[in-house]
Amino acid sequence: MESILRAEGIYKSFGANLVLEDVSINVEAGQVHAVVGENGAGKSTLMNIIGGIYRPDKGHLYLDGQPIPFADPQEAQKKGISLVHQEFSLAPNMSVAQNIFIGRERQNRLGFIDWKGLYADTRTLFERLGVNLNPATLVSQLSLGMQQIVEIAKALSYNAKIIIMDEPTSALSENEVDRLYVIVRDLTAKGFAIVFISHKLDEVFTIADQISVLRDGRLVGTTRTAETTSSDIINMMVGRHIEDMYPPKSTTVGETIFSVEGFSQTPHFHDINFSLRKGEILGFAGLMGAGRTEVARAIVGADKAETGRLVLKGQTFRPRSPREAIEHGLCYLTEDRKVLGLFLQMTIRDNIVSAALGRFVSALGFLKGGAIREESRRYMDMLEIHAPNDTLTAINLSGGNQQKALLAKWLCAKPQVLIVDEPTRGVDVGAKAKIHQDLRRLAEEGIGVIVISSELPEVIGLCDRIAVFREGSLTAMLEGQQATQREVMKYATQ
Amino acid sequence: MQPNKVAASRPVSPSSNLSRRIGVGGMQQVALILICVIMAIGMQLTHPRFLSSANREVMLVNYVPEAIMALGMTIVMITGGIDISIAGVLQFSAILVGLLLNAGWPIYLAILGALCVSALIGLINASAMIVFKVHPFIVTMATLLTLRGVDLVISKGGTVSGFPKAFNYIGQASILGIRVSLILFLILAVIIGFALKNHRYLQNAYFIGGNRRAARMSGIRVERFLVFAFMLNSLLAGIAGIVICSQLNAASVSFGQNAELRVITAVAIGGTSFSGGSGTIFGSVLGVIFLAMIANAFNMSGINTYWYDVVVGVMLLLAVFIGEYLKRREISR
Repeated sequence: MESILRAEGIYKSFGANLVLEDVSINVEAGQVHAVVGENGAGKSTLMNIIGGIYRPDKGHLYLDGQPIPFADPQEAQKKGISLVHQEFSLAPNMSVAQNIFIGRERQNRLGFIDWKGLYADTRTLFERLGVNLNPATLVSQLSLGMQQIVEIAKALSYNAKIIIMDEPTSALSENEVDRLYVIVRDLTAKGFAIVFISHKLDEVFTIADQISVLRDGRLVGTTRTAETTSSDIINMMVGRHIEDMYPPKSTTVGETIFSVEGFSQTPHFHDINFSLRKGEILGFAGLMGAGRTEVARAIVGADKAETGRLVLKGQTFRPRSPREAIEHGLCYLTEDRKVLGLFLQMTIRDNIVSAALGRFVSALGFLKGGAIREESRRYMDMLEIHAPNDTLTAINLSGGNQQKALLAKWLCAKPQVLIVDEPTRGVDVGAKAKIHQDLRRLAEEGIGVIVISSELPEVIGLCDRIAVFREGSLTAMLEGQQATQREVMKYATQ
Repeated sequence: MQPNKVAASRPVSPSSNLSRRIGVGGMQQVALILICVIMAIGMQLTHPRFLSSANREVMLVNYVPEAIMALGMTIVMITGGIDISIAGVLQFSAILVGLLLNAGWPIYLAILGALCVSALIGLINASAMIVFKVHPFIVTMATLLTLRGVDLVISKGGTVSGFPKAFNYIGQASILGIRVSLILFLILAVIIGFALKNHRYLQNAYFIGGNRRAARMSGIRVERFLVFAFMLNSLLAGIAGIVICSQLNAASVSFGQNAELRVITAVAIGGTSFSGGSGTIFGSVLGVIFLAMIANAFNMSGINTYWYDVVVGVMLLLAVFIGEYLKRREISR
């Protein structure tokens, strides 16, 4: 296969930190080239260099065998390299067509937008992608999956030859991921090269032709997907074996500590019944929109449920706000850590104590700085949050460390029941295993743990029992041998 | 075998040691102090009266009302809000206290009355904001316009004056050579500044401004805190009104014109972010001192004071640019 893009001997450091060291990759036309590695391995930096956003300290870039200078993003786009970011950059209240051709809309002689032409251009792009979408639709009305497709269409509109996708599936449902695969395969068949950054190995093995592994800023190796196995890749990523991604399941299950009876909220969920026993981890499985997050939000009083009863340690109670829930030891670690979970501009320490400030105050309500410092350092050590110190702002942490900080925040609030929503989304393998272990340890310490996860292997590997949701109903409670991917999918879809 | 450590996250990028130790806000404050010192030296060399005790007093006393209002505005802006009604509240409180005094109310009752009404205006602002989910700018602009009208009506468009001598104490008397109004401000600034830094309740401002939805999910009563912040802000504007009224021994709708703009400018120059989540009382106080010095320098040097607004406007832009630049440098990896 012919090489379309080659990066050679790339070095990049930020201050004293060497982020990329002598990294070379070779992308071939008509292929999907996956770049994998733990968070902080340098994947995104490498992509940002190829996409013209960062300038490397050293190195060369070749396009079709010709050396090209490192340029700004506009230059890179003109040369045919387009980056689809992990966080989309679409304007929600503008049409799909305007978002794609922003600043490049067809105009008439007076400088007014030629709407017909604009929509026609957009439709042509969508035809190439095989999607049926009205160009006048507002982006805010689209699912995340469709927004991703709009981003890809935008990349194509720049006549991209190489499309770099940074964790394109992290926010997508399974159906949307499948559709993305179809589009990616279709694009490669037409000769486009796709660079695909991901955390999820099953995904990489489904879609990629070649895999490059980065670790600590160095290229460990590039192999053809057909010639390797996922355990080889994991070894390359972490430099050692991870034998069990999931800790052993519980052997002793105690009395019921929390139960939910006849819980309903139209139109999101109805008549939900389940109980949580001491020492176990209960999983919530289901497709996106099945009502799992809505149930969790209603349990902690973030939204109102119409009917139903919650019993916590033998006491009936119904929190009216997250505050009341926290006071009773009912904590909810939200999905989407950047939007709902963390205070990104604040320090790790502030984040860790944010839900439990009441524990660190004197009689008059003044904060005890020393106690706060001690507690935040204790959690940093316990959960292995890797940062030079706890006064670093949260935005500077990698995804895995952010997620650990969020877990620390809720542990600090001393929960009796902890609901975690997508606890390992966008988190690297090492941090993921660590979070799983921590959740298991909490369960063993007698805290009731509920895990909401859209990743089937995670729910099955981690949880002792699995509640399957479909369209707002709890359709099955699977346990032990019953809990297989097939069974879960069966109850989640039919 | 235990899963091993993740590659350590890359810490903050190339900023100097100093900025690492004192943070972005600290850097901006250091810059502000330097500018003030340079300006003071420059003025002193060309106009030897600049740092005389008489002029220092004029400089500070003239800006005490703005300084008091900046305290509350800092908290409101840290939550990500804004309150432009404060100039209206200031006039209203000044005129109301004057009318109550002239109606024969005892001084302490007249003051208490004006302050209660001021705080009530904050409650109305916050309630309208929360219940109807309207942006604070619109709500408080409506309040500002309404109050301006009310102020004209109750003062009959003129000046209210002729208060008992004792009332002048707040604005005009001195203790150990320091004006009472200045002492009042210092006490308020120390209490609010210390509490904002160290008190659990006021810390909520940073969480709410940093991420309002996460704050709610973390158990913070967001709405209740906003009511508190807007009421405190309005109350402080009311206090500023009483100080002005006592300083000038009169009250009129011409007092404190555009004070809201000066206050917001001072707070922003002092390093409080418009998007919320960061800011300090110390910075805001520096911002007020800075504005006071510029105004005074203009008066003294005889440059056409029309240029004053130009300089302040440019300084505001510069401060925002510098703040954003420093922040971006800290965040970029």
